[in-house]
Amino acid sequence: MSRLKCLSAGLVCAVALGLTGAPRADAAHITLNVWTIDLESQYMFPLAKQFEALHPDITVHVKHVQFQDINNDLARASITGDVPDISYIDNPYIDLFGSRGLLLDLAPMIAQSKMIDLSKFYPGPLAAVKYGDKIYGIPRGANTLALYYNADKFKAAGLDPNKPPRTWAELYADAKTLTDPAKHVYGLAFSAVASEEGTFQFLPWIQMAGGDYNRLNTPNDVEALQFWQKLIDEKLASPDTLVRSQYDSTATFNAGDAAMAISGPWELPRMAKDAKFDYRVALLPTMTAGSAHVSALGEGDNVILAKSQHPKEAFELLEFLNSKMPSVWNDWGFLPVEQVTVDHPNWPADYALFLQALQTARVRGPSPHWADISQAIQTAVQAALTHQATAAQALATAQQSVDATVNQ
Amino acid sequence: MTRMIARFRDGSSFDLTLVALALAYLFVFAALPMLYTVVMSVQKIDMFTLGTLARPFVGLRNYAHVLAMPVAWRVATNTAIFVVLSVVLQLVIGLVLAIYFRQDFPGASTLRGLFLAGWVMPALVVGAIWRWLLAGDFGVVNFLLGSLGLIKGHIFWISDPHVALYSLIIANVWLGIPFNMLLLSVGLAAIPADVYEAASLDGASAIQRFLFVTLPMMRATLGAVLSLSIIFTMQQYDLVAALTQGGPSNASNVAQYWSWQLSFETYDIAGGSVVAVVMILVVILVAILYVRSTRLEQQA
Repeated sequence: MSRLKCLSAGLVCAVALGLTGAPRADAAHITLNVWTIDLESQYMFPLAKQFEALHPDITVHVKHVQFQDINNDLARASITGDVPDISYIDNPYIDLFGSRGLLLDLAPMIAQSKMIDLSKFYPGPLAAVKYGDKIYGIPRGANTLALYYNADKFKAAGLDPNKPPRTWAELYADAKTLTDPAKHVYGLAFSAVASEEGTFQFLPWIQMAGGDYNRLNTPNDVEALQFWQKLIDEKLASPDTLVRSQYDSTATFNAGDAAMAISGPWELPRMAKDAKFDYRVALLPTMTAGSAHVSALGEGDNVILAKSQHPKEAFELLEFLNSKMPSVWNDWGFLPVEQVTVDHPNWPADYALFLQALQTARVRGPSPHWADISQAIQTAVQAALTHQATAAQALATAQQSVDATVNQ
Repeated sequence: MTRMIARFRDGSSFDLTLVALALAYLFVFAALPMLYTVVMSVQKIDMFTLGTLARPFVGLRNYAHVLAMPVAWRVATNTAIFVVLSVVLQLVIGLVLAIYFRQDFPGASTLRGLFLAGWVMPALVVGAIWRWLLAGDFGVVNFLLGSLGLIKGHIFWISDPHVALYSLIIANVWLGIPFNMLLLSVGLAAIPADVYEAASLDGASAIQRFLFVTLPMMRATLGAVLSLSIIFTMQQYDLVAALTQGGPSNASNVAQYWSWQLSFETYDIAGGSVVAVVMILVVILVAILYVRSTRLEQQA
């Protein structure tokens, strides 16, 4: 009897709670789950806090995922259905998830949005998220490649520091002049490592030669790879270029052990600290005088997963993040992906140069099979640079793999 | 109640429970993952179909596909060189050190203990440190060899395709020596001193004592160390990841690393499973040798 009483009392209690409205407030309170590659102090973490302050009814739960794990983790999450509302995805992998219907098409919401205007976006970053009339994400910022050079070394070698190399031939000649084996100084530092970074560095050269990831074996493409071969064979760049990341390669430039380096704007804070010389930035040299300049498009996108329970609120967060575009350069070192006015940019000259390079930056792919394509390209570069194959053979093999992959 | 417990403990049911527990553990944590790998190696699979078992069966097509890859042959050769050289060098150097420390000199056992310092280091850390030591332009090893006048110019230990695999082997041998030495020391200690004494009295020289006393009496230990060493070398993934990542151009790629690359870099999980299954077969062979040699040890 007493037990029954207790039970009914509990029931009454629960009903009463329901009527007083406390649970109803809970129902209106929304939690957004966000995955990002940032560390605690970076981009998504502080910005999510700011967003929460503006939206007391929304809690943003941000989780850090390692850059190399995020594709795997997202794929596994989409199997179990336990996906976040928003995630970071690297540019060339948007298609992997988009083509399987795992990403929300943002185009209808963008059409209604007062804050996001696609017509202001630069073509490269926009191409990374636009598939036909679908938009699978909002680029959160960009980076790209350019040529850093040590103006002091230029002067010492009798080169004009105001005339950085503009063509491949000039780059070769300058690298040769600047190389000094006695002092262990290489002319150029770049990265041909067997990872996505290697693809990122090599693809602009193929694209400047007129090819692309799916058109790798024209005579011009072969010339691009032969040019890299020549740099390594003649020791104008270190043989360790094959195993060094971009960050490690640029470290040798900062230490004065290479006179030029190909890398991106993420190097600037470290360079300001480590490089005790007059360093400057120039556009990547083109194949011949007047031929097309192409650079690489780096950084990634914020996407909303198709299974998100709160697409509206998730989109509000994306709008908020996008509204921070004028400060991404100074705060996080990203180039803005759309025309915005940046007040007092850090390193104004370098900023202007990188922004110019971004105008011709191309996205890798797109292809739902990017991982395979990227590996075919890395394999070709490594095989040619180690002379296991000629540049022509290596690229022909890569072309075969890419064709097989794309047509599978 | 206590009688029931006693009967349970003394009766055959207790033995059965022990067997069942061990079997259950093996089944859940060893057999199931292994079987799952075998299943995945005969299915069409990518990372979006990982959650279900009902995937298209493709028979041995994955095997044909993987074995036909241009890099497969290279990886197989590299793996063979890596395992054979690593194991032989570890065993020989380990045995020499074990015999060395068996000599009675002050601090011998303490110094032998200190040798283990290398073994307790995580392979990832070992790889990172060797990567610094072996760096082409500014590595310590090149600097030392250059200062001693042994080399002119630099050896590109990590980025020269003719050298990278051997750099990996050097680091792996260094890592494996202490373990070999320790196990072999135990084997040496188990040989009764009077056997040596008798051999000496019969006029056997030091070399003869080694060849006709030490080696035969260590047969079981050597077999066990050899097979364990082969298994450890075949699962040496971390060192490869930290030192060369299989590069340049797959010059130092070995099966265990390739399997990971296939599965998690290009998401060819079926391909990665194929490599894993082939490796399991090899390891099972070695394990049979190991079990046989420990059986001999018990008899000896």
